[in-house]
Amino acid sequence: MTTQTSEFGRSIPRIEAKQKVSGTAEYIHHFTVPGMLYGKIFRSTIAHGKLLKIHTENAKSYPGVHAVICGEDIKQLIPSPYYGPAFLDQPILALEKVHFIGEPVAIVLSHSPHIAEAACQLIEVDYEELDAVFDEIEALSSEAIVHDELKPSGTFPDLKHLIGRKNTNIALDYHLRYGSDETIFSDATHVFEHTFTTQQAMHTPLEPMVSIAVPGDQMITIHSATQMPSFVRLEIARLLGWRENQVRVKSAHLGGGYGAKVYIKLEALVTAVALILKRPIKVSLTMEEQFYTISKHATTFKIKSALDASGKILARDCKVYWNGGAYADIGPRVAQKSGFTAAGPYNIDNVSIDSYEIYTNRPPAGALRGFGIPQLVWAYESHTDMIANELNKDPIEFRKMNLLVNGLKQATGTVIQHMESELVLETLSKKMNWTTPIEKGIGHIRKGRGIAIGFKASVSPTTSTAILTINGDGSCLLAMSTVDIGQGSDTAMAQIAAQTLGIPTEVVKVIRPDTDITPYDMGTLGSRSTFHMGNAVKLAAEDALKKLRQMAIQAGLNESETHAPSVILQKTYGMQAGTVVGFGSYKPSYIPTDLNTGASTNVTPFWMVAATGVELEVDTETGHVRIHKMINVVDAGDLVNPKIAHTQISGAAIMQCGFTFSEEMVFDEGQLTNGSFADYKIPGIHDVNFVMENICVSSSHDQGPYGAKGIGESGTFGVSPAVANAIYDAVGVRITSLPITPEKVFQAIQNKTTG
Amino acid sequence: MILSGEIKVNAPREAVFEKLNDIPFFASCIEGVGNLEKINENCYKATLTTKVAYIQFKFQVEVEITENIFPEKITAKTEGTPIGIVGRLQAISSAKLLQDNDQTTIQYSIDLKLTGKLGSMGQPVLRSKTKELEQQFAKNLQAAFV
Amino acid sequence: MKPFEIHQPQSLNEALTFLQNDDALTKPMSGGTGLMLMMKSGIYEPKGLVSLDKISDFKGIHLQDNGNLEILAMTSLSDLEHSPVINSTFQVISSTMKHLANVRVRNVARVGGALAHGDPHMDLPPLLTALNATINVKSKEGNRQIPIENFYAGYYTTKLNTNEIIHSVTVPSIKGRHCAYIKCTTRVVDDWPTLGVAMNIGIKDEAIDSPRIVLSAVVEKPTRLSSVENFLHGKVPSEALLLEAREMAVDSIELDDDARGSASYKRQLIKINVHRGIQKCLSEKAQQ
Repeated sequence: MTTQTSEFGRSIPRIEAKQKVSGTAEYIHHFTVPGMLYGKIFRSTIAHGKLLKIHTENAKSYPGVHAVICGEDIKQLIPSPYYGPAFLDQPILALEKVHFIGEPVAIVLSHSPHIAEAACQLIEVDYEELDAVFDEIEALSSEAIVHDELKPSGTFPDLKHLIGRKNTNIALDYHLRYGSDETIFSDATHVFEHTFTTQQAMHTPLEPMVSIAVPGDQMITIHSATQMPSFVRLEIARLLGWRENQVRVKSAHLGGGYGAKVYIKLEALVTAVALILKRPIKVSLTMEEQFYTISKHATTFKIKSALDASGKILARDCKVYWNGGAYADIGPRVAQKSGFTAAGPYNIDNVSIDSYEIYTNRPPAGALRGFGIPQLVWAYESHTDMIANELNKDPIEFRKMNLLVNGLKQATGTVIQHMESELVLETLSKKMNWTTPIEKGIGHIRKGRGIAIGFKASVSPTTSTAILTINGDGSCLLAMSTVDIGQGSDTAMAQIAAQTLGIPTEVVKVIRPDTDITPYDMGTLGSRSTFHMGNAVKLAAEDALKKLRQMAIQAGLNESETHAPSVILQKTYGMQAGTVVGFGSYKPSYIPTDLNTGASTNVTPFWMVAATGVELEVDTETGHVRIHKMINVVDAGDLVNPKIAHTQISGAAIMQCGFTFSEEMVFDEGQLTNGSFADYKIPGIHDVNFVMENICVSSSHDQGPYGAKGIGESGTFGVSPAVANAIYDAVGVRITSLPITPEKVFQAIQNKTTG
Repeated sequence: MILSGEIKVNAPREAVFEKLNDIPFFASCIEGVGNLEKINENCYKATLTTKVAYIQFKFQVEVEITENIFPEKITAKTEGTPIGIVGRLQAISSAKLLQDNDQTTIQYSIDLKLTGKLGSMGQPVLRSKTKELEQQFAKNLQAAFV
Repeated sequence: MKPFEIHQPQSLNEALTFLQNDDALTKPMSGGTGLMLMMKSGIYEPKGLVSLDKISDFKGIHLQDNGNLEILAMTSLSDLEHSPVINSTFQVISSTMKHLANVRVRNVARVGGALAHGDPHMDLPPLLTALNATINVKSKEGNRQIPIENFYAGYYTTKLNTNEIIHSVTVPSIKGRHCAYIKCTTRVVDDWPTLGVAMNIGIKDEAIDSPRIVLSAVVEKPTRLSSVENFLHGKVPSEALLLEAREMAVDSIELDDDARGSASYKRQLIKINVHRGIQKCLSEKAQQ
C-alpha cells in the first residue's frame, strides 16, 4: 500500500511501557475472583519412595481450612491424571510414588493463604524410601530406576519407539550419524578429547508461576501466567475428556517467562481442585517453589575431534548427557532438537552425536532461554579453543578455516541458508580489534580476551495463526495467542500489521491472549514468534487488505484510487459500522529426523547464529574475574524494532552471565539448599559494570516477515565459553565446569603453579 | 560436623550402660525433648525444641538403636525433620564405655548432618548450641548417680 | 509467616516498657531488614515486635566538640552514606556504606538494628570495632556503655539484654589515623561478605602505631587479629613485613567450608585482604 519501511524497522517504544512503569499493567499475579480459595502445596521431603499414607486429619481440622486434596481425590475426577508434552509421566499430585524432594503431594485450600500455609505444616506422610540417583552419568547404569515404565504422550511422533520401555532412566536417546567413517579417529594426525559439565539452574522470573481456575457449568476458565495458552487449553481438555471450547485460557503480561511458564505448570492442579470443590482456586508459588517446578538441565558433554595436519576438523564425536530430573517435561525435545547441533557451526564431514535425556531424582528440567544450546556451546567452543591453542593457531582463524557457512550441509544433511556465520565472526573480530594484541600485565592482575560462536535451529514444525480485525472507523484489533512475556512481541506484531496495512503502529490494538478469541499458536518460545507469528500476522493483514479491495469494488468505489478502510466500510454499510476480518496461518515445511541416522534435509525454517567476545581481567591472588568489555554480534535478519532487538541481546547475555559466574542449584542428597535469592545469586547492576556492545549484522531471511527472524535467545550462545577462553588467555588455566567461581579459578591457578 | 568428647560418671559400667539404655531417662537428660513415644524395641519418636537467642528450632525426631553391646557400646541413628524450615537432621552417634576403677568413662562421637535451609542458616548457630547441650547432658547424667 | 502484633510506642520509655516482660520472642525492631529474613526462613516466629519508628529524637548524626561522632540508633544507613559530616571526617564509614547490602536495604535499615542483629556477615560491626566505637544502651534500670569489641558473643547473640535498646553509638575521632574496610564477596557484588577486613592504623615516626585490625564474616563475631596487631606495632612498613604479617592472620582461626567458599580458600582470602587492607591505609597516608 504505502510506505515501505516506516513501521517495520522503527524503534518505537514498547506499547505497554507506560503501563508497566506506572504500575497499571495487568498481571495474573494481582488477579482475584470473588469466592476464591488459595491453595498451598505440600511437597515431598524424600527424593524417591513409595507413598504409603498421607495423614491429612490435622490439616483438615485446622481452623479456616476448607479442604485438603491428594492425588487419590484427583483420580476421582480425572482417572488418568498424568500430563507432559513428551511423556505422560507427571501426575497432578503424587500417586504411588514420589520422585524428587519438592514434588507436590497434597494441597491445602483456605480463604486465607496464611492459614493454608500454616495447615500445610501439619500434614505427615509415611514413605517407604527407595534408593535415589542424582547424577546423570550414574543414572545411566544405576539400579535406582526413577520411573517403572516410560509412557510417551503421542504428541511427539518421534517417541513412539520408546513405548513400554522399562528398567531404564533414559527417557530419550537421539542418534545422528553423518559420514561416520569409523577409521578416522585412529588414522588422524590430531585427536583431542575433553569433557565439560554444566550446573542445574533456574530461570527465576520475578513473577513466580501463578494460575487461577474458575469453574462454570461444564466449563472452566483458567487465568494463568503462561507462555502457551493454546497448548494449555488443549491439554486441559484432554485431561478432562472435554471439547476444547469448554476450556478457556487467558493470559496477561508475564513478569518474565524465559521458558519457565510453558506447557503445563499449575494449570492442571488448579483446574482439578476447582472442579472438585466447585470454587475458584488460585495457586501462586513462592520464589523457592519455582525451583521445585522447572529448571535448566545440568549436563555432561564428552566431545572428541579428529584433525588433519593442516588443522581441518575431519570428524567430531559428541556424547551429551542431559540431567532431566524426575519428570521429562520438554526435556526430550532439548536432547533431540538442540542435540543435533552438538558438533557446532563447523563444516565437518563426519559427525556422530548421541544425546541422552536422563531421569534422575532431582527437580525436573525443561526449557530455559537457549533450550540446551548454551550448554552445547560451552562444550564445543571451549573444546574448539583448546584445539586452536594446542595447534598454535589463532582462535578466530582456526574457526574460519572450519566454519559452517551458507551453501554447506549441516550434520543433519540440511543445507545451511540465511545464516551469516562468516559475517558474524568477521564483525566480532573487527570490533574486538582482534589482530592487535593486548597488554596482559605482569602483576597479580592479568588481562585476557576470548571469543565463541554458537548456533541454533528454530524448533519445527510449528503453527501460528492470527486474526486481524478492521473496525468501522478503520482502527484495528490484532488477535493472536503469542504472549508478550517482556520480549516486546505485542509491539513487534503491531508493527508488522501496521507495515502491511500502511497505518501507524499506534492505531493497532493487541488483544490479551484469550483462547475464546485469539486463535491457535503453538507457543511463545524458542525465539519462534517473530518468524512464525510475524508471518501469520502479515498474512492476516494481507487477507484483510484483499477483502477491503473486494469490498471497495462491490461498493462501487473507483478501482484505480486508494480508499481508506473507513470510507470503504461506510460505503458498504451505509454508516460507521461493520467489520473486516483477515486471517493468516503459517506453518513452515519440515522433514522429520530419521530415527537411526538423525538426518533430515529440511530440519528447520531458520537458523540463529551469534558470537560473543569478552575482554576481562583475572586477579591471580583471589581468582576474581572482572569483565571489561563484552561484544555480542547477532544475525537476526532484518530488525522489526532495533531498540527492542538490542535489549533482547543484552538481556540474554546478562542472563547467561548469571549462569556463567554465580548461579547454581546446590543439593544435599537431593534436597535443594539454596532456593532463594539470599543464596541463589543472580547478577545485579554492579555485576554488569562493563562496556557492552550489541551488533546485529546486515542480513535478511527471505521467508521471514519483511526479512526478520528470531532473536530472543541469540545473546545466550557464546557468553560462557568466551569467558573461559578469555581466562585461559589471561592466566593459562582451563575451567571445564560451570559456574566459573573465583575459587575454581584460584584453585586452577594453584594447580598449574604447583602441578 | 563431628562432635566428640568424654563424660566421666561415678558408677560401674554396667549401671551406666543400663541407664543409657533407659530411653525415657536418656531423653530427660537432654533439654528440650518432649512427646517421647516408643515405636518398637529399638525405635523411639520425639520432638526436640532448642533455642538460640530468640531463634527457635523445633524437630520431629526418630531414634533407632542400631548397636547394643552390653556393657561396652551403643550406636544409634537419629533422623529429624525441622518444623517450619526446609531441611533435615541426620546423626549417627556412638558411645563406648570404659571402666576405670569405680568410674566409667563414656567416649562419645556424633556425626551430625544438617541439610537444607536448616543446614545453611542453622548449622553455625546449632554448632554452638550443641556444645551447650553436651554439657547439660553430662551434668544430668552424672547427677543420676549421686 | 504467622500473623503477630506490632507495638508502635511514641517514646523510648514506652518502648522499654513493652520489653520489660523479658521475653526473647518480643523484640525491638528498627528497619526490620534483618529480622524479615529470619521470619521468612521460619527460624524466628515473633510473638510481638516493638517498632521504634515513631519515637521522636531518635535519629541524627552529631559531631561533638572533641571530634567524636555520635550516631543515634534510628539513623538510616542511607543517611550515614550521604552525611556531609561523615564524608569529611569519617570518610571510611561513607565509603563502606556504598557497598553495604544494596540501596533499597540501606534506605530502610537503621544503625541500631545493624548493630543488634548479630549476623557475622555484616559490614558495620567490624568497621566500628576497628574504629573503637562504644555502644550506648538504655533500659528501665538505667544506661550502660559497651565497647563494641566486647559486644558480640556469637551467631545472633550480643551482650544486649532482652529489656534493653541501643540508643546510640559513639565513634572516637580518627584524625591522624588511616582507616579502610574491605568487603570481599565471592558470588555476586550484592551479597553478604564472604570476608570483611577493617583497619585503623596510625603512623608515628614512620612506624606503624597501635594498629587495630578486625576480621569478620569467616568468624562467629568480629575478631581482632591481635597477633598481627602486636607484630606490626612499632615497625616500619615494608613489603616483606606485610608478607610476614599476613601469614600470622590465619594462625589459630577455625574456618568452615560453606556456600561462599572452602576453608582453604577463605584462608587465602584472609591473607590477601589483610595485606591489601594495610596497603590501602598506607597509600592513604602517602597521598596526604
